[in-house]
Amino acid sequence: MKFFDCNAFFGLPSLRPLMPAPTTDELLAEMDRAGVERALVWHIAQHDGAPRVGNQLLAEAIAPHPRLVGCWTVLPNQAREFPPPAELFRQMQASRVAALRVFPNAHKFLLNTVSMGDLLEAMTMRRVPLFVSVKRGMAWHDVYNLLAEFPALVCVICDHGCWGEDRMFRPLLERYPNVYVDTAQYLLDGGIEALVADYGPRHILFGSGFPESYFGGMMMALRHAQISDEAKALIAGGNLERIIDENLSTDLTDETD
Amino acid sequence: MMIGDSALAREFWEQGKAASCPIYDMHGHMGDFHSIYFPRGDTAAMISTMDECGVRMLVFSHHTALFSPDLANTRSVEAVRRFPERLRAYCVINPNYPEIVEREVASFDSLFPDVYVGFKFLSDYHQVALTDDRYRPAWEYADARGLLVLAHTWGGSRFDGEDVVRQVAERYPNIKFLLGHSCHGAWDAAVQLARDFPNVYLELTAVFDDRGVIEKFVREAGSDRMLFGTDLPWFDPHHAIGVLLNADITDDDRHNICHRNAERLLTPLTGSQSTL
Repeated sequence: MKFFDCNAFFGLPSLRPLMPAPTTDELLAEMDRAGVERALVWHIAQHDGAPRVGNQLLAEAIAPHPRLVGCWTVLPNQAREFPPPAELFRQMQASRVAALRVFPNAHKFLLNTVSMGDLLEAMTMRRVPLFVSVKRGMAWHDVYNLLAEFPALVCVICDHGCWGEDRMFRPLLERYPNVYVDTAQYLLDGGIEALVADYGPRHILFGSGFPESYFGGMMMALRHAQISDEAKALIAGGNLERIIDENLSTDLTDETD
Repeated sequence: MMIGDSALAREFWEQGKAASCPIYDMHGHMGDFHSIYFPRGDTAAMISTMDECGVRMLVFSHHTALFSPDLANTRSVEAVRRFPERLRAYCVINPNYPEIVEREVASFDSLFPDVYVGFKFLSDYHQVALTDDRYRPAWEYADARGLLVLAHTWGGSRFDGEDVVRQVAERYPNIKFLLGHSCHGAWDAAVQLARDFPNVYLELTAVFDDRGVIEKFVREAGSDRMLFGTDLPWFDPHHAIGVLLNADITDDDRHNICHRNAERLLTPLTGSQSTL
């Protein structure tokens, strides 16, 4: 299995954790120690500091490391803190950034058409994945409202909780074709097997939650899940490659808003 | 390389279990629970999971014992009798029903050690502090016999946080006090409790998901004071195993956490059944 982690970050959080990964050096060293080949990463300053500060730190840090693909953070753009969608997507591609994250609770906005309709529409058209983290304050009813407004959005629900969230995300997997869940907090015994049996393996992404969680936990769970080797390969990295790599290779030169 | 570079890491990664490192899961449950869907919550499915992960023994409390006073510990008892080589139970005390507490404590002797090896307290959920008098019959019974007591403990809780835990640890020095979830979040306090009380153990359910705590506990409390636990059927034992293999600790530490400490606790209680 080749592991392509969809949910890891580096950088120093504003509150000191037990075991941070301050730079890409520590991140890559731990990836090597665990056997993780690639990772879609973000910088904690995108959440704790300010999105534009964190986005720049991320781009600079991953530039020398092709194993790392970036995930920037965005905000509502009424104050024009970011370029229009077409230019944003070109900047993302130039920086090897293939997905976006939002933290509506921490950054005080509503994730809906009124606030971010232009960008969410463009992301849907271009199939740019949007990552939302339940652990970092994305409320389930907001996920439901978002997908009701943008039913074709590629949306990855990550950190969705170890205390049993199936009743929250299964309805979304049934209704929306481009919804994915990651494994970072999905510790439920038999959970992966049950999801694969009910929905197939194509909407589950390996995510570690590193450095707050260990790479090895869900790697081991997936390695020994009672599903086919093909399903394991898709979850470990194949699904993420499918939805990420097309964004890195599409020619955006002539795209306009 | 996958997960780690030790001999145990290689064996677990390839086989899913290790012959030299059986696992004693000291914190389990069983059956349906109101707010979580369990794909493998019934007894047979849990035994199957244990087989896949190399879990030799699970010490558990059935969800009905915790949350359905009408049934009390009956389903725990039934499950142990069905799989006596693989299961032991904690006798659950719900202090909101003193009359049931009295009955369950009175029945303990007849079920020890073939079914019970100790008591389970779930104070945060039952909303009664561990220091409350309604627990006293069970505490005193356990202290007199040197039994295990697994208490749910959570950092900062007024029912079972570190300050409350310290008070009961001082009162009952003869119990084997398993801090379920290790005063989750209050990691320094948990270490200090383990240092101050030789009968206190750090049980690791829900700790495996917080990177760095395993290393901190090994470094500051010692791996001989840590116990493997998963809340099974809540958490996949393979996740916990993967964490232990990935954490920056030694295989000797892993042996302590997975089986040696539990064997040391259970053998005096189970007597001739010490090879469980």
